[in-house]
Amino acid sequence: MTVRAAGFAGPAPVRRLATTVESYGQELVVLAVIAVLFLAVGLVNPRFLSSTNLVTIFAGNAYVAVAAIGMSMVIISGNIDVSVGSLIGVLATISGTLAVKGYPVVVAWLAPLAVGMAINAVVGVVVAYLRIPSIVATLGMLSILKGGLISVTSGAWITNLPRDYLIAQVRVFGIPFPVYAMAALTILAALWMRHSRFGRAIYAVGGNAEAARVAGIRIERSVVAVFAVHGVFAGIAAVLFATQLQVIQSTVPPNLELTVITASVVGGVSILGGTGTVIGSTLAAILFATIGSSLIFLNISAYWLRAVQGLLILATVLADMARRRRI
Amino acid sequence: MVRAALGRAFRHETVLALLLAGALAVLAGQSGRFLTADNLLNQGRLMAEVGLASLPMTFVIVTGGIDLSVGSIFGLAAILLGVFWHDLGLWLPIAMVAAVLVGGAAGLLNGVIVTRFRVPPLIATLATLALYRGLAEGISQARSVRGYPDWFFVLGQGEVLGVPTQLWLLLVLTAAAAIVLGLTTFGRTVYAIGANETAARFSGLAVDRAKMVVYGCSGLVAALAAVIFVSRVSTTRSDMGTGLELDVITAVVLGGTSIFGGRGTIIGTALGLALMQAMKNGLALSGVKGDGTIVVIGIVLIAAILLSNLLSRDGNA
Amino acid sequence: MMRKVMVLAFGLALASGSAALADSPWTGGDNLPTNPLACDNTPGVAVAKPYDGGQPTGAPDLKGKKITVVDVPKLIGIGYFNATSKGIAEAAKELGNVDAKTDGPTKANIDEQITFLDNYITSGVNGILFAANDPVAIAPVLKKALSKGIHVVGYDANSTPDAREWFVNQAEFNGIAKAMVDDMAKEIGEDGAFAIVTSTFTTPNQARWIAEMAAYQAKCHPKMKWLETVEAQEDNILSFNQATTLINKYGDELKGIFGMTSVATPASAEAVTQAGKCGKIAVVGLATPNAMKPYVAKDCVKSVVLWNPIDLGYAAMYVLRAAVDGDLKPGAKSVKAGKLGELQIVNGSEVLLGPPFTFTKDNINNFDF
Repeated sequence: MTVRAAGFAGPAPVRRLATTVESYGQELVVLAVIAVLFLAVGLVNPRFLSSTNLVTIFAGNAYVAVAAIGMSMVIISGNIDVSVGSLIGVLATISGTLAVKGYPVVVAWLAPLAVGMAINAVVGVVVAYLRIPSIVATLGMLSILKGGLISVTSGAWITNLPRDYLIAQVRVFGIPFPVYAMAALTILAALWMRHSRFGRAIYAVGGNAEAARVAGIRIERSVVAVFAVHGVFAGIAAVLFATQLQVIQSTVPPNLELTVITASVVGGVSILGGTGTVIGSTLAAILFATIGSSLIFLNISAYWLRAVQGLLILATVLADMARRRRI
Repeated sequence: MVRAALGRAFRHETVLALLLAGALAVLAGQSGRFLTADNLLNQGRLMAEVGLASLPMTFVIVTGGIDLSVGSIFGLAAILLGVFWHDLGLWLPIAMVAAVLVGGAAGLLNGVIVTRFRVPPLIATLATLALYRGLAEGISQARSVRGYPDWFFVLGQGEVLGVPTQLWLLLVLTAAAAIVLGLTTFGRTVYAIGANETAARFSGLAVDRAKMVVYGCSGLVAALAAVIFVSRVSTTRSDMGTGLELDVITAVVLGGTSIFGGRGTIIGTALGLALMQAMKNGLALSGVKGDGTIVVIGIVLIAAILLSNLLSRDGNA
Repeated sequence: MMRKVMVLAFGLALASGSAALADSPWTGGDNLPTNPLACDNTPGVAVAKPYDGGQPTGAPDLKGKKITVVDVPKLIGIGYFNATSKGIAEAAKELGNVDAKTDGPTKANIDEQITFLDNYITSGVNGILFAANDPVAIAPVLKKALSKGIHVVGYDANSTPDAREWFVNQAEFNGIAKAMVDDMAKEIGEDGAFAIVTSTFTTPNQARWIAEMAAYQAKCHPKMKWLETVEAQEDNILSFNQATTLINKYGDELKGIFGMTSVATPASAEAVTQAGKCGKIAVVGLATPNAMKPYVAKDCVKSVVLWNPIDLGYAAMYVLRAAVDGDLKPGAKSVKAGKLGELQIVNGSEVLLGPPFTFTKDNINNFDF
């Protein structure tokens, strides 16, 4: 791919632009689809572009975007985590319970990060050292977490959350905190993946594990590390999830893991490992929220909503394939 | 290469068979109602849908792919059965065949997206999961179709020679699948694709056609399972089969099929399926509630793979 | 070639959307016949029907003896069924000779619910309480229970009548519809516009209520305007996002939101609160008190829920015990249900819980579920 762009005849800055465009191709496709939807729906119903609705779109799926940052890292390393939905449920419950029991809110906010990191570090160890494929290990973990959560909570919701715990409802300049969190974490993670040893190791392990080992990268350590980091992001997502409303639902939203994985892959992270960025997954999460909102604004019959969503996802994915083949 | 794979597979199957035997013994000890003919036959009836879908899924995963849309194809076929019979007035047997064929077509579409457009199977079937479910919801407009003639229920609720009808079907298809995967050229092609697709292609094997066949069959059999399910519950709903894919994949992976492809047998899948069903049923009979059962299945899955890994330390990782 | 495929896909997507722009009646309702009540307070006529329930075959005589009962609701993990479960446990404790437990799927899925019921039948329980995810799909397994001598009583969501002995109904569908629509009309006026947030279009109770609400509104409040129905499954945050999007879309036109489930109502109230529209958009619907306390306290929501789910579970348990003991036989006109007194039997085999119960600012703090 990159070889072709290098052969593109033209002045250097344009060539560099072409390379950048190409390496961020999928992200640009997603951005393009978002722009098209904004334009189309905005024409049909201008209220779609009102500030309150834009806030809804960006804030509504922020927790999915944050979880997808960690998931993208895991997928880039050549693994997958299908237990993230149940993990978020467990962490949200822990967070809410601490808050209700009177612990300082900072503890309630930070505990999920620590617990998430610990649980996922264990998964990472199982995958790296015990050589169990990540899909198997996380399928098992999904069951354990889901069953465990119901056992402990008996499905009861957590109510009576203290007012100052509800960080997701805080607004700065009218924009809710989750949007800032999503943007900041995405940029930080993207820079980190690009410029740190950790980031390079993850890409290497995902791209070609044997070559990475020969190059001196400690694969097992990297895998444990990436799962642990993913656990931290899951913890942050859990806090955003838990503080959005005044109650915490103890059963996990169904299909949360599929949504997060879809966000990563639609955003350009290749399931084969080694390519993709966290920016793409955040954009994809925003795209899903945009699609959801658009379908309501366009008065699409509620019965056909899911079909249209599926078609749009398929179209976005095919667009990326088309882009790659053309280049 | 295939021989080595089969060799290692048999070791996993042995572990699995021992685990199954052990589980049966423990669970029988916990509840006297577990190992009765009545219960076992009933469990056979209940696991028919997941069982049928896991047969082609084994093929799919052996090729190194995956099919997450089986649950949605299941739901779509269920709805279409009702629509073809009730709204379009087709004769019921024709409606059944038509619903199954549409499932096959949906599977073929998956195959086309994977082979022709080269979309990785995980992504392709993730997208079609949403699309097919959406089609089921849109076409059904949230209406159910009921009132089927009595003979229709023999498939899902009836028995032949004392054994539930769908269990016969499951046994026959399992045998057929085992023969195809283990003993035919096509089966060897499937293993080859999973082991090293590029090499398989360069060896002149019809890789794309094989993939189309396995994905098509995955859809076809999922639809067949849906028809059986409709017969079992006597109505159609657009949310049928939700979550089916996770159960099917768990059974296949538990059975020793490697998620990276190239390794796996139908016997393994059958054993994995039996183990899962035994646990779900046996634990419930021993008084463990739903949440506890889910946890145990998760632990057993990891433990089984761990055990099999430990026992196969012959460098074939 | 690829371009054509993509254009086709996008085109199909938008085309299906515009095709759906055509006039549609209230969506979310089923298409079974409706029976709206009178616009004033004339009570509905209770039709006397002969008993139409199913009976267990070969049930052992367990009068006065200890029995094991399992309660399999639509799903576990939502406030509503936590409450019914509590009621069942309370009744079991009072009766003293019942061993009851609640177990069920974690999603409102008929496939899984059937498997749960099947396992409990095999394990030999004496009685089953259920709230069905689908009235027809659940019938075969319930009939199997009856054929094995197990007593079967439903609550909240019915099955086909011949698959259970009795069904404890919280209130008639048209009664609930009337109460909700009248409440909404009182708050937003005779020509207000409203939207509905429901779980899914295939959930039988919700679909029935919405159909009855449509019929009643057309009859008694014809100038009210239905805007849209959105689905939000049983997902808290999705309900919130959907409700917020509705508020964004309709702006000042939207005057009221109906929440059709115990998940949708608090989420809609939260959406209204966070949008700063407390008092400008009314929220009327079904919910459990704990989830609604913050909104009722701030006068964002005036009245909530239409019956007491704890009482519902409690009554169901008593009805089951009475059926096991032979105190409640087909053809009976009423049944004694502990502290709830005598409950009426209507429609052949339905036990009516009683008049709807409304939680308001004055009484909501007396409840904890």
